[in-house]
Amino acid sequence: MKSEQTSPSFFQSVILKNLKWIGLALGLLGLVLPSLLSPEGLSPAGVRALGIFLMAAIFWMTEPVPIYATSLLVILLQVLLLSDVSLFKFETDTELPKYREFYAALANPIIILFLGGFSLASAAVKFGLDRNLTRILLRPFGNKPANIALGLMLATAVLSAFMSNTATTAMMMTVILPVVAVMDPKDPFRKALALSVPFAANLGGVATPIGTPPNAIALAALNQTGMRISFTTWMILAVPIVAVMLFIGWRVLLKLFPPASERLTLNLEGQFSRSPLALVTYTVFGLTVLLWVTEKLHGIPASVVAFLPVALLPALSVLDKKEIRNFPWEVLWLVAGGISIGASIKATGLADWMLTRVPIGSLGATGAIICFGILGFIVANLVSNTVTASILVPLVVGFALTDGLGTSEVAQGVVLVGVIVSFSMMLPISTPPNAIAMSSGLIETADMARAGLIIGLIGVFLVAVCAFFYWPMIL
Amino acid sequence: MNQICIVCVDDEPEVLEAVERDLSQFDDHFPLESASSAKEARQLCEALHASGDQVGLLLCDHLMPGETGVELLISLHELPSACHARRVLLTGQASQADTIDALNLGGLDYYIAKPWEGKELQDVVRDQLTTFVIEHSKEPATFMSVLDAVKIAEHLHRTSGFTDH
Repeated sequence: MKSEQTSPSFFQSVILKNLKWIGLALGLLGLVLPSLLSPEGLSPAGVRALGIFLMAAIFWMTEPVPIYATSLLVILLQVLLLSDVSLFKFETDTELPKYREFYAALANPIIILFLGGFSLASAAVKFGLDRNLTRILLRPFGNKPANIALGLMLATAVLSAFMSNTATTAMMMTVILPVVAVMDPKDPFRKALALSVPFAANLGGVATPIGTPPNAIALAALNQTGMRISFTTWMILAVPIVAVMLFIGWRVLLKLFPPASERLTLNLEGQFSRSPLALVTYTVFGLTVLLWVTEKLHGIPASVVAFLPVALLPALSVLDKKEIRNFPWEVLWLVAGGISIGASIKATGLADWMLTRVPIGSLGATGAIICFGILGFIVANLVSNTVTASILVPLVVGFALTDGLGTSEVAQGVVLVGVIVSFSMMLPISTPPNAIAMSSGLIETADMARAGLIIGLIGVFLVAVCAFFYWPMIL
Repeated sequence: MNQICIVCVDDEPEVLEAVERDLSQFDDHFPLESASSAKEARQLCEALHASGDQVGLLLCDHLMPGETGVELLISLHELPSACHARRVLLTGQASQADTIDALNLGGLDYYIAKPWEGKELQDVVRDQLTTFVIEHSKEPATFMSVLDAVKIAEHLHRTSGFTDH
């Protein structure tokens, strides 16, 4: 009888159960293997960078340690193995980078940009600014179910463009759950509402550089190649895609889960706080966002503007030390690790080496970039979007540069991957907003997978079309 | 392992059965453990602690052979698995002095008079467990489908306990 249990599913369950240990072992193996094999044509620094990259990629995907811890391990290993204070010296013709350069990833201008976003978001939540904006944004949409869904998606996307997708989803869930609770349990539209929020949050994150961490990975990689994309330019690239995708997402959800009732009522009670601190918050929020979106007009870099709320909000006692401690610091670490590994892959010549060994050249630039996009879509459905971007973006940069493409082609590829990973929303594990919506118990995984696949595939197609026909007009 | 349990203490088996019936909707997420005396309840809490579980809610009768429910509540502060548990008295016979002790010393969170309505008990349990997971669970979102989803979502929003990555 026993032997019957040793079916493939038994092995699968053993692998799943021990995934973390397997990941730990494989990751450590990945770290040392390049040094043992010392691959031909790769510099000693490149060998070590390859080891760190393999370990990071395996750790990020199997999570023997939290993903942000892996990012910090990356920086530690870079300092210990690749910097001027390296514990294990090696022969090299070029000077080793200073250890400070690796720590600098933690204060990269893109990280500061996100820190600005955290400060604004924290103050906005404290004074209910996001909730009140939601009320105002939803008001014109009346009480027809289809219109309400559109309003919810627009409001969610606008907020998640400037705040975390996850925090926006949590807030919007508090708006829709009371409505869903009084609906007929058999009304399929409940599912449309429960999916509209996380989907719109995922899509909305793409709209601005600070919307979601994968954008940061893409922008930082471009900065390293000497290409700066302004806040305004990113929005010109991304907002049209987000707008079209929101409309398509809305139609798909209505088609899959049509409303059974004629009208719904959202509770939009509440009013703006008028306390002096709240007014300061509104002013700083408005000023920062205004300076961000108009970067192209005045030329002050977005990361410089971002320091305005970072410094002003504590100075004006809008944020106190408790709120500062509550910033999601681990997100910054995660992004810093991604930026740092990307820099090493490029600087050590690892990227060139890798891409000469992958038969990707035969696809041509367009084909290869599309392959990276599709790969990004698949991987990001299974692991963190930021992690997917951290692994793929340096490869795209390396590929594009080796192939002798111009900087605008590099930008096309990098932004394409950065955007596509945010369109991966088939599974509860794909993004934290999906996980929150799934926890509400209103939807089944199959509902999410079906709607997420349709919207995701249309998204990948749309991004590819824009990358090759629309973006070149701007970049 | 790592489960949040509801512990119900009552010397009458019929009461335990009725509570079990009323709280069946929580069973998938919060297994219900029963004890027929204060002593047994404490042993149960220790066993849960040993297996890495914790008590999220203690629902107990007052008048029982041996120790009373209020005495049990007071002694719970010493038990690592149950010191954070929400405490609910489900009783008909607690005197005013006992009730005052339960409030001041036993950290009582709610008092339900016997006989109770199923709906009332469910509402109280949902509310108390929501408070518990918000304060003590690392992933309160996983309980949204059985508990007060709006409160949990508000908590996630306020604390950014859940972040983008």
